[in-house]
Amino acid sequence: MNTEATPIVEIEGLHKRFGDNEVLKGIDLQIAEGEVVCLIGPSGSGKSTLLRCVNLLETPTEGTIIAAGHDMTGPDADLDLARRDIGMVFQHFNLFSHMTILDNLVVPQVRVCKIPRAQAVAEARRLLAEVGIEGKEQAKPSQLSGGQQQRVAIARALAVKPRLMLFDEPTSALDPEIVGEVLSVMKGLAAEGMTMLVVTHEMSFAREVADRVLFLDGGVIVESGPPADVLSNPKTERARTFLHRVLHPVD
Amino acid sequence: MDADTETADRRMTPARRQRLARAVQYTVLAAIVIVLAVVADWGRIADSFFQIDIAAAMFPAVWTPFWNTIVYTALAFVFGMVVGVPIALMRVSAFGPYRWFATAYVEIFRGLPALLVLFLVGFGVPQAFPGIQYPGGVYGQVAIGLGLTSSAYIAESVRAGIQAVPKGQVEAARSLGMSHTRTMITVVLPQALRIVIPPLTNELVMLTKDSSLVFVLGVTTSTMELSKFARNELTANANATPLLVGGLLYLLLTIPLGLLARRLEKRGEAR
Repeated sequence: MNTEATPIVEIEGLHKRFGDNEVLKGIDLQIAEGEVVCLIGPSGSGKSTLLRCVNLLETPTEGTIIAAGHDMTGPDADLDLARRDIGMVFQHFNLFSHMTILDNLVVPQVRVCKIPRAQAVAEARRLLAEVGIEGKEQAKPSQLSGGQQQRVAIARALAVKPRLMLFDEPTSALDPEIVGEVLSVMKGLAAEGMTMLVVTHEMSFAREVADRVLFLDGGVIVESGPPADVLSNPKTERARTFLHRVLHPVD
Repeated sequence: MDADTETADRRMTPARRQRLARAVQYTVLAAIVIVLAVVADWGRIADSFFQIDIAAAMFPAVWTPFWNTIVYTALAFVFGMVVGVPIALMRVSAFGPYRWFATAYVEIFRGLPALLVLFLVGFGVPQAFPGIQYPGGVYGQVAIGLGLTSSAYIAESVRAGIQAVPKGQVEAARSLGMSHTRTMITVVLPQALRIVIPPLTNELVMLTKDSSLVFVLGVTTSTMELSKFARNELTANANATPLLVGGLLYLLLTIPLGLLARRLEKRGEAR
């Protein structure tokens, strides 16, 4: 079996404009099944917009996107069906604030996948244990720390059995000492073979976990390659400047 | 130099100034109370408002209109919610015609006086459509007549609540594969309704008082509400005591409503 043959994400000629502001200026990207790709770049470079185009939370102005076997930009795309296969984790967690932690995982399974409640509860408990959240089933999201909330958010995204996970700066809203607990969950997920597209500022995570790092600037992919190449020997001046600023902020 | 120190001495510290201002305000309040107490003709006031025998004679007959006030309010509020929430959803719809209809509906029924709508439902519609029967007779007329106005206000409150739910909640729901409608029902509305508990309580209190307009439909002893009953008693006794009793009974309804709303709000926050 050659899994490389059909990429799980295929983006061609992607442009995105907000009014007069062109945020993405022609992105071509293929991601293979099981690959972990980190998106880095200065703020405003279009990283988040690119990520949000993959599950069509942002509608592309131009270009085609195929993700997890769904033609996302086709005229007859069933986005609700497609999005089940594409999990997403947000910077600000976005847990359903009026539901308990358990219901955050149970309700999507019951409502979206039509799984019987008892079975959904069992699956929710298993996922919560996997991300290290136990004994908080009946708590409300606001009663948890940011790190705990983000781990629940990852578990919730996994509850509808996605084939691909998108992470939009998952640790940017967290206190520094809490970042690790979220990254280690993500690392575990990568080790299990999940395909992941991660917008991040955590260079050590990118170096350690990513199969490929993309450096985005001004709406185009400027560099692409294994983390050792892109992070240690950037070919372009833009990437060099950015990495220097991130790794040596005081200079 | 000398003049400078003098002004500095005379200038008060903020704390002293505040104490002095408080003292002045308490003095004014005390003066007003004393003047009122001295000037008012207490015997006359007692005669007009506090005739125990007139008040006692209103019972137990007053419980029927008291109960009717509750029923009218509840019916109109239920109608207002059942119509108002969908109108609110239409107001935020991506589909133009829904938005246009909902906007027109809100503008019309928020703009018309409740009394006029009540007349319209009670007399205008039956004339235009002869033979029309409202379910529950006068109760149906009240539910629709007061409910139409109420639904416009409720729709606006709920719309504000929907728009106050963070966008991230919708994005999370959609990214999990929930449809637009499912997202609204499961994620947005439950949060929006919690946000609008205070304005909805307001609406319920307003409705309690607006039920006093029901008399224009022509009510009998069994369908009379509190204001009409109090007014009848006022005329019959040529005395204002029934108004005081009626007023207290309104407060007996509206004050617990406020307390209940505060409890609900607190519970929403705690969760």
